[in-house]
Amino acid sequence: MSFRVTQRMMTADSLDALQRGLARSAKVQEQLSTGRILNRPSDNPTDATAAMRLRGAIADSEQFVRNAENGMGWLGQVDSTLQQMTNQTRKARELGLTGANDGAMGPAARDALAVEIEEIREGLIAAANSKYLDRPIFGGITAGDYAYNPDGSFAGVAGEVTRKVAPGVSVRVDTLGTEIFGSPGTTDNLFADLADLATNVRLGNSVAVRAGINALGARMEAITAGLSDVGSRMNRVESAHAAATAAAEELKTNVSTIENTDLAKAAVDLQLQEVAYQAALAATARVLQPSLLDFLR
Amino acid sequence: MAGTFSSFNTALSAIRYNNTVLQNASNNISNASTEGYVRRRVLGGEIGGPDQPAMYARYDGHGEGVRVTDVQRQVDALLDARLRREVSQQSYLDTQAAVLGRVETGIGEPGDNGVAAALAAFKKSWEDLANDPGVDAPRQQVLARASILADTLAAQSRNISGEEADQRVKTLGIVSEINIAARDLAELNEKIHVTELNGIDNNALRDTRDQLALRLSELTGGATTVRADGMFDVSVNGTSLVSGGQAGTFEVTAGINPDGTATGAPIAFGINDGTTTTAVPVAGLRGELGATHDMLATTLPGHRLALNALAADFASTINALHVGTATNDAYDRNGNPGGAFFSVVAGDEAATLQVLITDPDEIAASGIASVGGNLDGGNAHRIFDEAFGAASGEYQRMVNSFGTNVAAVERKAANQAAMTAQVSNSWEAQAGVNLDEETVTMVTAQRAFEAAGKLMTVLDSVLDTLINRTGVTR
Repeated sequence: MSFRVTQRMMTADSLDALQRGLARSAKVQEQLSTGRILNRPSDNPTDATAAMRLRGAIADSEQFVRNAENGMGWLGQVDSTLQQMTNQTRKARELGLTGANDGAMGPAARDALAVEIEEIREGLIAAANSKYLDRPIFGGITAGDYAYNPDGSFAGVAGEVTRKVAPGVSVRVDTLGTEIFGSPGTTDNLFADLADLATNVRLGNSVAVRAGINALGARMEAITAGLSDVGSRMNRVESAHAAATAAAEELKTNVSTIENTDLAKAAVDLQLQEVAYQAALAATARVLQPSLLDFLR
Repeated sequence: MAGTFSSFNTALSAIRYNNTVLQNASNNISNASTEGYVRRRVLGGEIGGPDQPAMYARYDGHGEGVRVTDVQRQVDALLDARLRREVSQQSYLDTQAAVLGRVETGIGEPGDNGVAAALAAFKKSWEDLANDPGVDAPRQQVLARASILADTLAAQSRNISGEEADQRVKTLGIVSEINIAARDLAELNEKIHVTELNGIDNNALRDTRDQLALRLSELTGGATTVRADGMFDVSVNGTSLVSGGQAGTFEVTAGINPDGTATGAPIAFGINDGTTTTAVPVAGLRGELGATHDMLATTLPGHRLALNALAADFASTINALHVGTATNDAYDRNGNPGGAFFSVVAGDEAATLQVLITDPDEIAASGIASVGGNLDGGNAHRIFDEAFGAASGEYQRMVNSFGTNVAAVERKAANQAAMTAQVSNSWEAQAGVNLDEETVTMVTAQRAFEAAGKLMTVLDSVLDTLINRTGVTR
């Protein structure tokens, strides 16, 4: 016996087929209207996991970019302050030379030189207290407002300010005052040397002045060394910044590839589904219409 | 006895028979789209001579007409049983797919508002803190994002609890529907038995009974067997629910309170036959009841356990890094050792994850001890590096396994739907009404009716000839 076909079967089958067609259209419609092919984990569990990992990596990269930007600000501030301090120190040294060479200087002239050197010293202490985002850049990890006291002693707390610029890569973005200006106390540092120089210039002690000038030369070398160190760290942070920015963009592209709808493909799909749906509708209308009754007269 | 008058009777039998055929066709046509209606066919039989040859009296006729021998329901018991089996599997998978789909929507991954995004944001906030430990804003941000993470986890946990509560209420609803259907089925068993003995048409009752048996399979995956006396017996996972005219009471014997709350014990079912309650094994239960049971017993608690483990691990990892001890350098803004960051209630970690720190200054960003505090960011760096890898991985695995699970159930449900549709079509091919067929039957019966009428006219005129014209000459 051949398979009987009944009107109810045909109605149910065509409704089923129409439902399936509509469901496929709805799926494409969802992909188009949300712009995503990955709307829930079950759409593709593997891709969903990959997307979550990529999103985590993007967040990290964006944070690394922020960290690097912050670090570049710190290093820039350290760099320009040290440049300025080099110039000031050089000027103090020149003043010292003037005081040492001219033995014929009168006390008033020497006093004037000494005052100028003292002013430079105060200017350097102020520069050593420079701040970035309200933190003294030579003060290490201090919570206080100053890296150096007015008497030239160190007021900071030893410690490194670091910025994480890549997974597992931290770059130090500060320079501790004691590392380039000399001992933390009131002796054996840049500020003490300047104070001594001013005193000796005032006294006209040319031997001590010459010794002071030599000492200042050594301090300047230390500052220059600090500058080149800052420069190389700046380079590291800048290249890390570029890498993290590129990584974030790259990862975003990857996420988009996984999560987002290929619009052209989805639009064509939708068109196809529409055509298929309309064909099913037309076929249903033709199949359900006729009955034997139309032909019995 | 052969003769003209007897031929009238033969024609009358044809009229009666074709009347029945027409009546049946009209019933079939009327019920062409009635749910569960099984088409009927009128079986005719010839009225002939006696089937025992007599010794002296000889039958000299040639057939006495037609009679209705039976009005048959076009069913196939095997196909019915097959349909019930497929439908129970279908409703089992469909119910699971619906529940899993709802829970999955609540997960919200991959996206910007899920747990993964909250974890990433919380992680980032530690680096912002490391950059500026002396400023209030990043400290506040760490606390705010910790709260958001806790809220997101709690929302997922609530999502599961809500679904569980719904499923428990649904289970109670299913059980009461099972009991109504079982009672109705037992009553119908009785009625069909009685009408069968009385010889009254009971096809409509049989249609209803088949539908009840199908509904019971859909609800419980129950198996129906037909007894020798025609009654249906229904058993659920091996335990008898309906036996002839007797229906047992299906009961939730453990796990769910009458108000739909959980008792804490595993869910168990039993069937009370009026005196004793026999347990229904829960393993292998199908239909809607099986699906809700499996959801409540394994799938949803499993997901919640994974979520709780994640919350517990994460809280203890963060706390281990944040609490300052002799071996762990963690100091807050004022130089004091850090305290516990998160608290959880054991057993319900995801829902109870809470940020213990209220004063932003108490966040231990520094890894260096100093009196009065300092602006080191070492510990914040360390938390950024070490606290999140395990939790993110664990969460991704959880979402992956849940998504895989949902996709698998949806695929199974789709495959089963094709299977069920095919069996359902076979059933329809057997039992459905075809209007063309009925029209042909109708036209055939109409013609036969007309012919029988014509026969009477002919016989009438034959008799007229015999009675009124015999011997008349003109």
